Amino acid sequence: MSIIWDNAMKKMSSTKKTLLIGMILLMTMFLFMACAGEEEETLDLETMTWEEILEEAEGSEVRFYGWGGDQAINDWMNGFVAEQMMEKYDITLEWVPMNIDEILNKLQGEKQAAARGTADMIWINGENFFTAKSNDLLYGPFTEMLPNFNNYVNSEDVEVKYDFGYPTEGYEAPFGKTQFVMIYDQEQTPNPPTNHEALLSYAKAHPGEITFPAPPDFTGSVFVRNIIYDIVGHEQFLDMEAEKEVVREAIAPAMEYFKELKPYLWREGETYPATLAQLENMYADGEVRMVMAYNSNLVSQRISSGMFPETSTSVIFDKGTVGNGHFIGVPFNSYNRVGALVVINEILSPEVQASKYNPDNWGDLPVLDNDKLREEDREIFERVELGEGALPQDVLLENRLPEVPAPLVPIIDQIWMENLLD
Amino acid sequence: MFQLKKSSIKPYIYLLPVMSILIFVFTLGLGISILQSLGYHPGIGLYEVTLDYYREVFQSAGFFSGLIFSLRVSMISTVIAAVIGVSLAYLLVMQKKDYRGLQALLKLPIIVPHLVAAFLIFTLFSQSGMIARLGVLLGIIEESRDFPALIFDSQGIGIILAYVWKGTPFIFLIVYQVLRSIEQDMVEAARNLGARGSDVFFWIFLPLSLPSVFSTFIILFAFSFGSYEIPFLLGPTTPRALPVLAYIEYTNPDWTNRPYAMAMNMVLAGISVMLVWLYHWVFKRYQHHRKGR
Repeated sequence: MSIIWDNAMKKMSSTKKTLLIGMILLMTMFLFMACAGEEEETLDLETMTWEEILEEAEGSEVRFYGWGGDQAINDWMNGFVAEQMMEKYDITLEWVPMNIDEILNKLQGEKQAAARGTADMIWINGENFFTAKSNDLLYGPFTEMLPNFNNYVNSEDVEVKYDFGYPTEGYEAPFGKTQFVMIYDQEQTPNPPTNHEALLSYAKAHPGEITFPAPPDFTGSVFVRNIIYDIVGHEQFLDMEAEKEVVREAIAPAMEYFKELKPYLWREGETYPATLAQLENMYADGEVRMVMAYNSNLVSQRISSGMFPETSTSVIFDKGTVGNGHFIGVPFNSYNRVGALVVINEILSPEVQASKYNPDNWGDLPVLDNDKLREEDREIFERVELGEGALPQDVLLENRLPEVPAPLVPIIDQIWMENLLD
Repeated sequence: MFQLKKSSIKPYIYLLPVMSILIFVFTLGLGISILQSLGYHPGIGLYEVTLDYYREVFQSAGFFSGLIFSLRVSMISTVIAAVIGVSLAYLLVMQKKDYRGLQALLKLPIIVPHLVAAFLIFTLFSQSGMIARLGVLLGIIEESRDFPALIFDSQGIGIILAYVWKGTPFIFLIVYQVLRSIEQDMVEAARNLGARGSDVFFWIFLPLSLPSVFSTFIILFAFSFGSYEIPFLLGPTTPRALPVLAYIEYTNPDWTNRPYAMAMNMVLAGISVMLVWLYHWVFKRYQHHRKGR
């Protein structure tokens, strides 16, 4: 080591040497400075009026962290939402695509290091909200500070009050609603299966052409829960103890079903696609006959982008499919809380919710209460044309089943993996 | 006297700022991982130090099949990469011309990120991939489903393909530089004494480049053994590679599962440390052996 070093130093001129050493020292200093952190002044938001918050937020930068696995959503965030924020409030919205588990790890790390936060708002729900809230990673309650939440959202709605059975208590604001659907090509499958038994016979008739992303993949995990609901009903899970043995017993018939289905799956169930994106590719390539989405309008967007065949259509089970809400939270260490509140408030406006509902943008169901909307706002939603292959909102809402409580989700995933993989 | 002393400490002083950070980050990271693997993680309310997590990890069915899968895939891919890389380096060094264009082309995969490599392998070799489609088009296979399952397969062929594609140029680059620095006089002397091409390879080039081949081998092996993205994207659901298993535990929203991930990481780290130790041991023996002759 020292020989290499000496040789390198001999070759360098003394100016370069000084520069190099200077740079190393400077970098060290920066690192230590970054580690030292800064004390931030916290504004007392509760006592501020909305006008004061708007004023404080003007010209600031807000960093929004969330799942970036769908390019259409990324484009909508970077496009429509960011432009609105810039035009209306002079706020620079930076959309940072990152998986929620990484975001929470990051927050936990920042908490341990008592470091200044990097995320001002995060896209979150379900078991991750449970983890975040029970580990004090969220700021709140904040929803009642938002004028649009008070004006347009029904705060008594179960889907606003609870997130996967866990009380939200104002620590996250509703962002959108989704519902699980399965997608088939009508030309190939004129009568798509609408219950678990029909699905099994369909798989038997077309061996190797059905599959799903293996849990703990988000969408694969919902599919498994939906099958469980179809077999053993959903009511018993709503107040079930998060005890592995209790859950195991309750879902045993469904695990038997999956074992029976396994040999007829793609690659005989020996392997599953690792991500939903891979399953979508396989469907687009005609390698499998079904694809699924925890987004009831995904199909129209995929049809209009040319990825899926035009004859693709969404299907739900006769007993219904799982639906859930997704939310926005503010990290405990958000550096720009006022800015985050302004952005969240804007996201709860009829314009943004309608733009989000438009399948050309995203196709995500709105969270605003129809009864609370003004006539002219209601019209904005009515003008949104649903795309091809998608089910209308009322059909979905009538056949909507609640999610299991958050702590059950990883337990069910675990039991599925033990039964089907090991 | 003073001069000598100064020059011997000097490099350490110069390196101090960088090394202090490196050592700080490294030992801190490792220390925290060990603590968490033992179930001590105050951040999420775990205080009891126990070996239970290791015990449970060792007893779980997926662990050993995952460990063996990881070891096998890394070993096969690194051996293939080493054989191709060394042969290519030897063939190119024996040429009179430099073939700069070819060399540049060979170096290309080094700068391509692993994620992109996984994507390339997927687009080429999956059952709906380009090669399968070409096969259908040319009438070699009837349906794209007849194409052998190379991706997501339980043998890990897709993973091996990706690692070989990334690893071969790396070995080539290092070994080629070493081979080029070998005195041509030695080769010519050997040839004068009647050595054939294979003799030159086995008696001059191979022994002289073996230490660098071996060290690059260890680097590649340890990397593919410990990294998760390629086995996650191209590997089967069972057996899951050990880093993928650790990743899944790590991302479990129930944070009390964190110690399982850390226990698996400790196994990964332990095996890598053993490899480095093995490397030193073999290297020492090798040098000793050469001096002894």
